Amino acid sequence: MTDRRRINGPSGGTSAPVYSKYLTKGPSDVDRPTRTRAPNVLRKMFLKTGVTPSASGSAYLELEASKNPKATSPGLATLSTSGLKLTCTVHGPRPLPKSAPFSPHIILTTHVKYAPFATRRRRGFVRDASERDLGVHLETALRGVIIGDRWPKSGVDVIITILEGEEDQWWGDDRGQGSTSAGEWGIMSVLSGCITVASAAIADAGIDCVDVVSGGVAAIVRESGNEEKPSSINLVLDPVPSEHQEILAACIVGYLPARDEITDLWAKGDIGNENQESASQNYAYEDLADNAVQAALGSYRVLVGALKEAADMKMR
Amino acid sequence: MSRHKLVKSLDLDDELEDYDGGDDYGDEDGESYGTENLRLGTIKVRELLPQGSGHINDKQIQEALWHYYYDVDKSVAYLRKEYMAKPKKEQKKATGGSRSSFQPHMHERRVGPFSFSDFFKDMPWLNVPKDRQAVFIAPLYPRGGLLGGSSDDAPKMSKLQALAAARKKKAQEQKLNGASGMERPMAELSLSDRANCSADKIESPMATSTMKQSSRGFPLRKRKNSDPHEIPAKPVSRMEQMSNSDDNANTALLSLELDQAEPSAFASTMFNSKDRSSPRPSPDDVVIAAQSKGVLKTTGEKKTDQITANVEALKVDDTRRATSKNLDVLKEFEKVAKKNEANFVVIGHVDAGKSTLMGRLLYDLKVVDQRTIDRYRRDAEKMGKSSFALAWVLDQGTEERSRGVTIDIAVNKFSTDKTNFTILDAPGHQDFIPNMIAGASQADFAVLVIDASTGAFESGLRGQTKEHALLVRSMGVSRIIIAVNKLETVSWSQERFDEISQQVSAFLSSAGFQPKNIAFIPCSGLHGDNIVRRSTEPALTSWYSGSTLVEELDKSEPVTRALDKPLRITIGDIFRGGVQNPLSVSGRIESGSLQVGDALLTQPATQKCFIKALEVDSEPADWAVAGQNVTLHLSDIDPIHLKIGDLLCSPSSPIINIKEFKAKVLAFEFLTPMQIDVHRGRLHTTGKIREISSLLDKVTGATAGKKRPRIVKPGQLARVIVELETAAPLEPPGRVVLRSNGATVAAGLLE
Repeated sequence: MTDRRRINGPSGGTSAPVYSKYLTKGPSDVDRPTRTRAPNVLRKMFLKTGVTPSASGSAYLELEASKNPKATSPGLATLSTSGLKLTCTVHGPRPLPKSAPFSPHIILTTHVKYAPFATRRRRGFVRDASERDLGVHLETALRGVIIGDRWPKSGVDVIITILEGEEDQWWGDDRGQGSTSAGEWGIMSVLSGCITVASAAIADAGIDCVDVVSGGVAAIVRESGNEEKPSSINLVLDPVPSEHQEILAACIVGYLPARDEITDLWAKGDIGNENQESASQNYAYEDLADNAVQAALGSYRVLVGALKEAADMKMR
Repeated sequence: MSRHKLVKSLDLDDELEDYDGGDDYGDEDGESYGTENLRLGTIKVRELLPQGSGHINDKQIQEALWHYYYDVDKSVAYLRKEYMAKPKKEQKKATGGSRSSFQPHMHERRVGPFSFSDFFKDMPWLNVPKDRQAVFIAPLYPRGGLLGGSSDDAPKMSKLQALAAARKKKAQEQKLNGASGMERPMAELSLSDRANCSADKIESPMATSTMKQSSRGFPLRKRKNSDPHEIPAKPVSRMEQMSNSDDNANTALLSLELDQAEPSAFASTMFNSKDRSSPRPSPDDVVIAAQSKGVLKTTGEKKTDQITANVEALKVDDTRRATSKNLDVLKEFEKVAKKNEANFVVIGHVDAGKSTLMGRLLYDLKVVDQRTIDRYRRDAEKMGKSSFALAWVLDQGTEERSRGVTIDIAVNKFSTDKTNFTILDAPGHQDFIPNMIAGASQADFAVLVIDASTGAFESGLRGQTKEHALLVRSMGVSRIIIAVNKLETVSWSQERFDEISQQVSAFLSSAGFQPKNIAFIPCSGLHGDNIVRRSTEPALTSWYSGSTLVEELDKSEPVTRALDKPLRITIGDIFRGGVQNPLSVSGRIESGSLQVGDALLTQPATQKCFIKALEVDSEPADWAVAGQNVTLHLSDIDPIHLKIGDLLCSPSSPIINIKEFKAKVLAFEFLTPMQIDVHRGRLHTTGKIREISSLLDKVTGATAGKKRPRIVKPGQLARVIVELETAAPLEPPGRVVLRSNGATVAAGLLE
């Protein structure tokens, strides 16, 4: 669907061009970002509730951008990797419009939108398929968490704006080939963040929940080998797609630690066990899910910490 | 940190094994804070403790105080129960014993702002002994309202919170120092636990004995003692380990020190800017504050100005009205070298030809074009009244045209070289005398039209000719021009003209007109002889060589205008002057002057209004003076307060509504104390003659005859007191006409 109401910017990349003659290193050997964290270490998360005064509840989530310690070449620092910045507002519980049919429980509406500038590929003003997909996943993750019976005839709107999204792959790999092999890996981290931030905002809105749900991602990545190290397949938590050459599979869960329940699970990709020579590296999808749960637990701790902090402020 | 998580996922059986039963709450922090409270509390407890409590030492008391958050009564009760009965036991507790691994959790609990389980600690259910009963203070409920949209202003810390914060800080210090190394494995308990569970699960497909696992897929947690210190210390070795061992699920080991990240530059800009900007008022606030200040100031100034000017204007809010240009109207008027302005009223008996005469005048002066007259002629012929065609110039109303009589005064204008004239064509019919009075009240002089045809003059003299003449005289008109009309019907007979002149001048003299102010002109309205053009009829020119009507009109001297007197306007008409001017009035300024923006007072309604705009002779103007016919566009007033005949005056020297007045009147009929209508211009109201004070001498004006006569004969001058039913704006020297039963009974001057 084309957006005829606005004058849109170009849909392609919007970063300023970097001329190769100013690069100290050749364009071919631009440092690609690499993961400096241990595989089981999550990115640090900044979470703050109560950021939007006009909303019933709101939260802001930020994952730090992974730094490339070797990135010294000019102009490329900004291109290396991005963090994740999400802001979520919750409106409600509020009465349903008169036209809506009777509902014995709360009606949850989720709305996820990338800001046009959120990724290198410019996003439109109208939600596209992937954004609607995110919204459906988010609703799935949240629906079971809210104790909906307590608000008949009411609705709650969860609106997430992605201010800075995860790239699907390293920008250097995206040079004109139009390679789509990468798939939409960035969406996994985004969804995980969406679940966590929405959970925080719902808690901030004071809507009764069985527990706070948090999101976590795990991925199986293939690290290309070089002379001294053969290529290997690793399982990492909280993958940053631009830091890995190839992501084989990824899984995101919405997890309720107190109940040990998973509210949303989405795995995609092919682990490709059949052509692996070493049996020791066999990862099953169950591993992926379990590790995603671990990642969710990590974000849960931050989430609870942030909520406690906010609650301490309010309780006098 | 996920304390909830820790507590929820604890394996209680495991924990309870390690739990030594001691309920010692760490008092290791006791010295660092609240020592003063402790000291004071100890003294109080000592006072309250009964005799024989000497063996309880300070430490025990402080312990108790600490337990009960310095609640002295509870501490005393506790100490009495514990120590007075079995002092031995407490000794053991006071020593503290070995710290259990559970302790940090309990410790953490106490950090919280409030715990109900602590509050009701060791309280038995029901049958509370007397000495244990305490006064309950309302528990600390959380602040009401939803949590949402919080501002993150740092709240004022309560005592309890301060306490908790101090504890937390201390705990962190200890952590840094590695003093509480024991706590960390506990903090990581669930995670490492989780990891091991996952390990279990990963193993399970290999072991092919998955059926024993719980249906959830996650087995019951068993506490495995992994040394957590190793985990952050050597992640690489772990990675290697997992890459070549079947313990690969250890990938899931998390960063144990995962914590809130510092906000990025973006986030800190977004969320911390509030503190920086809050001390300074926003630009909007500055503007609003300045505006409110300015408003206050200006209104204050206005008030002082207006107090000196006039008190009434205080109530005025000047939001919408036009601003006055503050012209000196009189000077402006002097500057403008204007032609003379004169209003004259055309009076006479019905069918004397007043309207036709004026129509002829306008037609000959080219005020009305040929085409219009032709149309009137055609229309009039259709109605069989071809002679009325010229009268239709002034008689615009359908009823007036169909009946062939003038009903209301018609106003028209024309100008000669010297003067701008306004014609007030009065109705001659006796039913419309009030309208004629209204017209006459605006006139400077009068044109009396007399029908010279046989019999008509005589009937006219008995009819309205005399009454009109008397009325205009009593309205203050001193100059009168008599147009002897329709003289062609008597073939321009000089005898007829002289006869009429003699009779009329005799009557007019008796009515009070001076002979020099009376002029006779023979003319014919229908044919236009001696009106604008000099007659060419030989029958007339043989004996008359005097001036035409227009020449005679031009001879009228400019009347002196009462410019310096207070403003008085009688409203002649009220209408809607268009979308912009929802309320407009027209009338003649009797005295004084006005300009745009002036405030006016309407009487008898006593409402204030403002002149939004004004027109003089249908031309927009900034000011107007006495004698001019103006249209005023008013603002700030409701139309219900105005009616035709009302008076507009200046608020500074208003005309007063009176219910009774004394007047010197000339009687036309017999006057007794009776019901009358009082006319003053358009204004008329009912009243009665309450008292006839005295009869007056016509020449000298002195009191004549007996006092308080019962009756005034026609032609006599008398002083009467008139009482009005409703108050009306009248003031001396106003001219009033008294009428009764459709006839004018008297006219006179207010005193």
